[in-house]
Amino acid sequence: MYDLIVIGAGPGGYEAAAHAARMGKKVLLIEKEKVGGTCLNVGCIPSKTFLRSSELFHECGEAAKFGVRLGGSVEFDMPAVVERKNRVVGTLVKGVETMLKRAGVESVTGQARIVARNAVQVGDQRYETANILLATGSRPAVPPIPGIASKSVLDSNSVFALDRVPKTVAIIGGGYIGLEFACFFSEAGAKVNVYEMLPQIATGADLEISTRMLQILKRQGIEFHLSTRVLGIEGNTIRYSADGSEASATADCILNATGRAPVVEGLGLEELGVDFGPRGVKTSGRGKTNVPGIWACGDVTGRRMLAHAATREGIVAVNNMFGKKDRIRYAAIPAVIYTHPEVASVGRTEEELKAQGVEYRKSVVPMAVAGRFLVEHEGGTGMVKVLAGARYGEILGVHAIGDASSEFIVAAAIMIETEMGVSEAGEFVFPHPTVSEALREAILGVH
Amino acid sequence: MATAVEVPKLGNTVEECLIAKWRKHKGDRVSAGEVVAEIETDKATFEVTAPVDGTLLETFFEEGTLVPVFTNLFVIGEAGENVDAFRPKAAAPAAQPAATKTASAPGAAEPARASAAAPAAAARASTAFSPRAQRFAEEHNFHPAAVSGSGPGGRVLEDDLRKLYHSQRPSSTAQRHIEAGEEVRDDGSGVAGMILSSDLGPAAARISGIREKIARRMRESLAATAQYTLNSSADASGLLRVRAKVKAAKGGPDININDLVTFCTVKALLDVPDLNAEFFDGKIRRHAEIHIGFACDTPRGLVVPVVRNAHLLSAAELSVKIKELAERAISGSIAVDDLSGATFTVSNLGNFGVESFTPLINPPQVAILGVDAIQLKPIRRDGKIEFIDSIGLSLTLDHQVIDGAPGAKFLKVVREKIEKVESICTI
Repeated sequence: MYDLIVIGAGPGGYEAAAHAARMGKKVLLIEKEKVGGTCLNVGCIPSKTFLRSSELFHECGEAAKFGVRLGGSVEFDMPAVVERKNRVVGTLVKGVETMLKRAGVESVTGQARIVARNAVQVGDQRYETANILLATGSRPAVPPIPGIASKSVLDSNSVFALDRVPKTVAIIGGGYIGLEFACFFSEAGAKVNVYEMLPQIATGADLEISTRMLQILKRQGIEFHLSTRVLGIEGNTIRYSADGSEASATADCILNATGRAPVVEGLGLEELGVDFGPRGVKTSGRGKTNVPGIWACGDVTGRRMLAHAATREGIVAVNNMFGKKDRIRYAAIPAVIYTHPEVASVGRTEEELKAQGVEYRKSVVPMAVAGRFLVEHEGGTGMVKVLAGARYGEILGVHAIGDASSEFIVAAAIMIETEMGVSEAGEFVFPHPTVSEALREAILGVH
Repeated sequence: MATAVEVPKLGNTVEECLIAKWRKHKGDRVSAGEVVAEIETDKATFEVTAPVDGTLLETFFEEGTLVPVFTNLFVIGEAGENVDAFRPKAAAPAAQPAATKTASAPGAAEPARASAAAPAAAARASTAFSPRAQRFAEEHNFHPAAVSGSGPGGRVLEDDLRKLYHSQRPSSTAQRHIEAGEEVRDDGSGVAGMILSSDLGPAAARISGIREKIARRMRESLAATAQYTLNSSADASGLLRVRAKVKAAKGGPDININDLVTFCTVKALLDVPDLNAEFFDGKIRRHAEIHIGFACDTPRGLVVPVVRNAHLLSAAELSVKIKELAERAISGSIAVDDLSGATFTVSNLGNFGVESFTPLINPPQVAILGVDAIQLKPIRRDGKIEFIDSIGLSLTLDHQVIDGAPGAKFLKVVREKIEKVESICTI
């Protein structure tokens, strides 16, 4: 009899399992594939190793601007890039496995099926438990486009096994996944076309930021087809319509980056009456599903498909199931798009504030106000935008484009999470010289 | 230096406490923490302990006395010290005026201010706080209205305050909301229990003087009477025909349905005078004059203007009088005399579509008639089902003096008057 069975060993599940075990609970963690989930194996970490390699390759071309001359030819060695990715992933997966063992979490590999409110079956083995935490994550979405499911179309799983850089790449979807791969392939030397159904890229991001991002990525040579609907894929040909007329294009490689869908099948959720739909399992802010004893966290809930949100949701669920009141506050979850330049944001966008009728003040400063940004980037561009409440000056949203905004966005998250006003936030001392000083300038600029 | 100990404020609503028992008596040696007195509120018994070692120099009240909170209860010091400075009635200690004021004049603004100042005084002087807790309260300017102590005898320790302080700390934005008049509605939902602006809501507003008066009268009404309501209905076609005639005859007084029903009620009271009466002190007083009160909704709340000698008025005169009084009630210019002395009351919610309700008697009156909406009602006539316009009537009576049968009889008379309205009122 376990206190908790966690289904899925991604960043939602494994952190929750370890947290419960450290509380002295008897915990079983069931994973059908690899510990680490999407994030470690086919998501955050592999894509960042790819992007680091492509960035370095791209920087070699820029080295002369920094007074560094490279002799001979610079080549992008895709098998070596994949090999490095595997090494990094291997190290991290091993780290998680060790951590789980130390915490005292028991692990089982296999497909789990919930057979009762208090029992989970893996193969022939039945495990009894007081609580179940669903952390089954998500998989690449397959929209109803003819031909998109064919083997010739890559998705964000299979793309990591490429053995060479294609000459031309067509990416379906201009969200964060599509944009990161667009950036990678472009820097690695491919000609990239991005097809996006909506009139903007990175939907959900602050429009001023995503518009700037579009300009920058276009300048890097990526071609964007916005308000464009992909009609079908045949072999290497992609058929699409825009402005009422149809066209087609060919590419060595076609990548489906249309988003992610929660994994809810084969778990026995229907039989138990767990409330879920195509957008995931429904949960309360404390991680409860409608069925007592069954909890959920991460992508499977369809709330915020972000590893760090999953981790927090898992820990919140564990705390609540064992009597410690806790809740996740979605208002201050940072999100990053790891393109070059990076886009990092937390809190509400200007468009959201307008739609909600919130009166706000705003301040936008160029990244170049921070000396360090000029030092690091030759001809780089970026900006930080701070949105604050009109009446009390509480920070409502911070949106940045420019490297390395992902490393300091957490400061803004803390300000938002603690409802800090611009006057208090302006009292913080930021280290000099760092890019983060642009955030300080933007905060001080809110009048 | 002598130390005075006050009656602590033991809850938001507690204004005075009963001295249940003196455990120590004048002249006894006491040590810090020893229980000196037991005091009671309407809810529970509490112990008041000595804050310091010394001699119990004076106990100011007898057992069984009700004492306002923050009034000095006893004094501890060295034998021979003068305690006159602490005597409650003479030189008043700092907190006493607030308590006295609250007790004598429960006006709108005063209690709010008193309760804001009160916890500070409690933290400073109450025996319920340990010295370190008192210091913490002072240092952090933190004086919660209620805090449960984990120390001996419910004594509040520094740790109790510290925990509460951290659990209640508002974010800087929430603090600004609080300063702008909002108050904490929920547990802190932020990091480590921090209070966020989403945990706040509009501060509870004290009800207006007139609302307070309505509230008291309604409570008294329910407490002092044995109310029950009879529901019936009358054929309203006569009322509607008269009304149509009034409308057609332009220039005359605009007699409406409510005026007509009030008129019919007056006529019914003439037939059944038992209900035109007041009951108090075990005595019934019947009135020869009929002064009709009518419930009137105004921007300041419910008021009940009174039409004097309504039995002497024609329907048109009654209508004019009602409108005149209602206008003055709504504009706030009505005289106090026009709001008292009713012998019977009519309350009309029919124009809101109410089909039946329970009007509350305005004591010492013994009945009130509620007028409901006009609705279609099926009746059987000559073996056929027909629909007629029917007006609902809800009569609340005080069963102490009016039993069901006489009440129903009056209602029947009202019904008959309404159905014959064309013959009793001339337009």
